[in-house]
Amino acid sequence: MLKDNLTKALAPLNLEKVAEGDYAKTGYHLEVAALPAQLPDVAQAMLAADCFLESFTAVDLIEAFDLVYHFASFDELCRTAVHVPLGKKKGMPTISHIYPGADWYEREVFDLFGIHFFNHPNLKRLLLPEDADFHPLLKDFGASQGND
Amino acid sequence: MTELLGIEEKTYTLNLGPQHPSTHGVLRVILEMDGEFIIKAEPVIGYGHRGHEHMAENRNYTQFLPNLARVDYLHALAYNQCYCMAVEKLLDLKVPERAEFIRVITCELNRISSHLLWFGAYLMDLGAFTPFLYCFDDREHLLDLLDGLTGSRLTYCFFRFGGVPVDIDADFVAGCRSFVSRLRSRWNDYNNLVTKNVIFINRTRDVGIITRDQCIKYGITGPNLRGSGIPYDIRKSEPYSAYPEFDFEIPIGAKGDIYDRYIVRLAEMEQSCRIIEQACNQLPDGPIMAEKVPKRIKPPVGEVYQAVETARGSFGMYIVSQGDVKPYRIKLRTPSFANMSFFPEMAVDNLVADLVANLGSIDVVIPEIDR
Repeated sequence: MLKDNLTKALAPLNLEKVAEGDYAKTGYHLEVAALPAQLPDVAQAMLAADCFLESFTAVDLIEAFDLVYHFASFDELCRTAVHVPLGKKKGMPTISHIYPGADWYEREVFDLFGIHFFNHPNLKRLLLPEDADFHPLLKDFGASQGND
Repeated sequence: MTELLGIEEKTYTLNLGPQHPSTHGVLRVILEMDGEFIIKAEPVIGYGHRGHEHMAENRNYTQFLPNLARVDYLHALAYNQCYCMAVEKLLDLKVPERAEFIRVITCELNRISSHLLWFGAYLMDLGAFTPFLYCFDDREHLLDLLDGLTGSRLTYCFFRFGGVPVDIDADFVAGCRSFVSRLRSRWNDYNNLVTKNVIFINRTRDVGIITRDQCIKYGITGPNLRGSGIPYDIRKSEPYSAYPEFDFEIPIGAKGDIYDRYIVRLAEMEQSCRIIEQACNQLPDGPIMAEKVPKRIKPPVGEVYQAVETARGSFGMYIVSQGDVKPYRIKLRTPSFANMSFFPEMAVDNLVADLVANLGSIDVVIPEIDR
């Protein structure tokens, strides 16, 4: 089973957490927590298991960011969520050389959250205009005060 | 040759869009050309960025519902369904069976209307005008049917947390049946017009091939993936709603070229017809809304990832709830975004004449990429 294979493949990486997920509640079969520097190795292991990068995004938790990578497989139902805590004003290693599809996802996160990705080949704004001077998905972005 | 003649070799830049009839929305592609060949293609997106994810953080769960129809306006009901299912998972709501059937019927009708539009628009990209008139004629019947039930023609906002707001009646079911038999009677025309058309075959066979390896690296899903022979369809691979109740197949291609993707989409419409037919036959009685749907939607702390199969591939919603009436974070994983990120690799080393054929064949909806 893919879930067991992934657990085995991730074991030598000494990750903070590799646990079975509650699929009925969250939609995850495997929940992983990793440090930023470990992420390229995790991505490599996922690619070796023929998983594809389903989605990548960030969550602004005020004190820090939570980066969330979702991996899934075409062959077997197995979704892995990888959470990576990242301090504010810290950068993240890119995985765009492993998954070329991550290129745009990382540009989007850079665009909307201002998170820098080291060694990214083309880190520039994706959705917002090139001359924008804000990152709208940060919780302290003005317009998010809104009114009920 | 150019060296022999003493001519300096030069490339030039060609700009496609953002206002171009075959970019299906506002997409710009900057092309680096060497004669007729593309050596680099860089899509410029974001012209239709409305900040849906930001809007989600500024309104409560119910208020965000109409936004979903405006992300992918061609398969709005699948987006409705994904959001409703994600929130139902957070709230631990059980949707009645009849409501699930209604969701499946309307969702599949919507899928057919999306594929029909692709069919017409794509062939118009290739220079064939007649098929467009055929499929828009068919699509019109379908839109009338959905219009009668949901009140809108395109940006449907029909599902609610816990079920559907309006029940379907015998007229609607009869309308579905007559639409299905009408569409089936048209396959022959479609095949004679297009599938067996030698001009169409020559333009699409062995052009724009996508491999399995590329699908994994870019996260390509939907008919683009299935055209390459990988039978991955969320409706089967990760069954949801009432789909496990129905008998249907997942059409796949062999080579992964444009022609295969065309065949897959055409075959998918027939499979959708089968699902609609079975759902109409087996339609259970009962309530259409779950009991005890809270008036104030306030899910407990947690996160959820929900995927559905839209006409363009796997759409996923990642919702983070911090126990508030507003979502803390919503990420929309749209299939066209991943499919489009592959486009530069697909366009390179091909003729500029094939660019439009390639672009149309991956069936992108630009507002879905831009969000």
